[in-house]
Amino acid sequence: MSELGRLALLLGFVCSLFAVGSIAWGLRTGLSGPLRSGRRAVWTVCALALLALILLERALLARDMSYRYVAEHTSRDLPLHYAFTALWAGQEGSLLLWLLILSAYGAVFLFAYRKRLDPFYDAVAMVIATVMVFFTGLLTFVCSPFRILATPPPDGMGLNPLLQDPGMMIHPPILYTGYVGFVVPFAFAMAVLLLNRSGTRWIEEVRRWTLFCWGFLAVGILLGARWAYIELGWGGYWGWDPVENASLMPWLVGTGFLHSVMIEQRRGMLKTWNIALIALTFELSIFGTFLTRSGVLTSVHSFAESNIGPWFLGFILISGTAATALILYRKALLESENRMDAMVSREGSFLFNNVLFVALTFATFLGTTFPVLSEAVTGTKISVSAPFFNRVNVPIALALLLLTGAGPVLSWKRATASVLKRNFVLPTFLGILAVLIALPFGVTGVYSLVCIFGAVFVITTIVMEFARGIQARRSAEAAAGLPVQVAHLVQKNKRRYGGYIVHAGIVVLFVGVLGSSVFQKEAHAPLRNGQALQVGPYTLTLRGVTERQKQNASLTTAILDVQRGGKFVGTEHASKALYTKSQQPMTEVALHSTPMEDLYMILGGVNEDGSASIQAYINPLVSFVWVGGLIMVLGTIIALSDKMRLRREEKSAP
Amino acid sequence: MGNRIRLAVVSLVVIAAVGYLILTGVKQTGMHYMTVTELARLDHAPQAEGFRLDGVVAPGSVVYDQREPKLKFKMTDGKERIAVVYDGLMPDAFADGREVVVEGAYRHADRALYASKLVTKCPSKYEAKGLGKDRS
Repeated sequence: MSELGRLALLLGFVCSLFAVGSIAWGLRTGLSGPLRSGRRAVWTVCALALLALILLERALLARDMSYRYVAEHTSRDLPLHYAFTALWAGQEGSLLLWLLILSAYGAVFLFAYRKRLDPFYDAVAMVIATVMVFFTGLLTFVCSPFRILATPPPDGMGLNPLLQDPGMMIHPPILYTGYVGFVVPFAFAMAVLLLNRSGTRWIEEVRRWTLFCWGFLAVGILLGARWAYIELGWGGYWGWDPVENASLMPWLVGTGFLHSVMIEQRRGMLKTWNIALIALTFELSIFGTFLTRSGVLTSVHSFAESNIGPWFLGFILISGTAATALILYRKALLESENRMDAMVSREGSFLFNNVLFVALTFATFLGTTFPVLSEAVTGTKISVSAPFFNRVNVPIALALLLLTGAGPVLSWKRATASVLKRNFVLPTFLGILAVLIALPFGVTGVYSLVCIFGAVFVITTIVMEFARGIQARRSAEAAAGLPVQVAHLVQKNKRRYGGYIVHAGIVVLFVGVLGSSVFQKEAHAPLRNGQALQVGPYTLTLRGVTERQKQNASLTTAILDVQRGGKFVGTEHASKALYTKSQQPMTEVALHSTPMEDLYMILGGVNEDGSASIQAYINPLVSFVWVGGLIMVLGTIIALSDKMRLRREEKSAP
Repeated sequence: MGNRIRLAVVSLVVIAAVGYLILTGVKQTGMHYMTVTELARLDHAPQAEGFRLDGVVAPGSVVYDQREPKLKFKMTDGKERIAVVYDGLMPDAFADGREVVVEGAYRHADRALYASKLVTKCPSKYEAKGLGKDRS
């Protein structure tokens, strides 16, 4: 079976090469035959990648220990569902998943545009196939998942306990769907440049693809944060770790692009900039995969260190150079059609937004790679971590928060004084009011106050926008209730109001980050049965410690009665698992979640005298982070559904 | 033309502000990234406070008081050893011989690093070398 797997990947490599060559030939000669075969080859790669993945899964589920990958990442006592997800626990499997998602994007792309006979779409497919060549090549010649051991061990090495978590079952596939998807916008951009196409139709298509991947990436990042919160057991969800930064960077640039692309659609400006942003987003997503997989930087996530680093760097270098060269070569195509009229305008705010997003990405990139860069430049290795990012990124992010409120209500071209007055007086007033209310509660940090002001300011502008929209339609449906009116309003312009909903989600997320980072409380103590630990308004009383055997681990659990302000609110179980295979301990946090705060409890261990060391955190407003994420997803879905409606209209039109 | 200049000025101001943030950020939060040997062989107190060290937990050196919690161990790169003191719970993956990264302040007088952050690299493959060679 392993030979079949290798063969599938090798054939995938050959088909990818063929697709590139055949489409290139077809585009050159204008013959439709080679184009058609090229498209078929892309489909074939997708089928082959699926076959390879199924073969590896079969080996994983059967715990076929003759496979090196299976022996390295599973064991016989591993629960079945984790054997399934062990596919993305290691490097070879992760890359195979990458390839499958990549080729699936290729196939979905071809399916979506199957009725378009424009060779432009073939050129897009060709660029996607070029990326496939890299990944199939890597999986065939550099790190094959189908390596067979000379002497199969009786049992495997087991799966890292950190990865034995429900979050890890969905986080990587969703994150990859976001990461990998940026290949499609990139392919569009390169196809435009290759064929020297003008026109704006493609830019709307690219916007949609980007929005789709951007949404998945956002969900992937948040699931990763949630996983870190629950599994890593240090009381937080984001530590500015290199791998976290790696996933954030393409998302930031993507966000910038989603804004500046509107200027291009509306006013035909910023074409070069937009193409550069698309290319940068793609390169950063490859760079992210490289960071995660190469072990160049130390990270809590650096699960596998390996030899594929140079290959990825080479790929980034080549594709980046090619993209830059193409942009320069087609400079004339990217000439701006308009000039900016005024700084205080929608365009101005979007430009400012873009500068900030790129600056944020740059600062994150610099901080992440600082040891490598400083050594190259000065000869001494300097490293920065969370304090650096908090100092640099927080102010930039707050400036962006303020822009979130200001940008959408500035008019295009030039915002007049009356527009400014109408849109900003009330939000500014309410923002200042919120700050004045927060002050007596001991909120003193400048950044905290700016964040509170910004949150209220932005939410007010969004509510005012909805109110204005409803006002304008009042006569049409005066009888309907408010929710119906809001729903109709959103339906009327999904893209716009979907955007506002995403903004509202961002605000909620900011509030969650503010609350959990500034107002965290901590307490710890060794507790004997019946003794209590006080943290904020909570009292934790130890009721007992139990020992129990799980499928592949033994579990020590501290049972804690939780009281808030003297009232019993529940019994929680903080555990420490000891995995039999690896003898690796693993903290299993007890989480008492309420909308306003999380009580986060860790069992440090049981001491010789029988007392249990308990550490507890109060993390205010953490749930806002997740809820903010959900609101963003909702907004993204609404904004995405807009184009589908347009599409139907297009179809029905003659 | 006025707007182009204004745009350029605004962009420059933003870039300068971000540059300033980055420079002061590095100055105030940057840590010297050293090997254990480099730090151990310093014969005078270093000027900088913040250090980041990569190394391995020296087997048999770990003293852990879970009740405090306080973790003390020696870190080694095979040649020299440095004492590390960390006030916090022992990370799950922490064990003798594991690769760790510590960040914190180095006090030359005690020849010890007082860590504010301790990261243990997780081995995703346990002793993968023990599996032997591939079938050719």
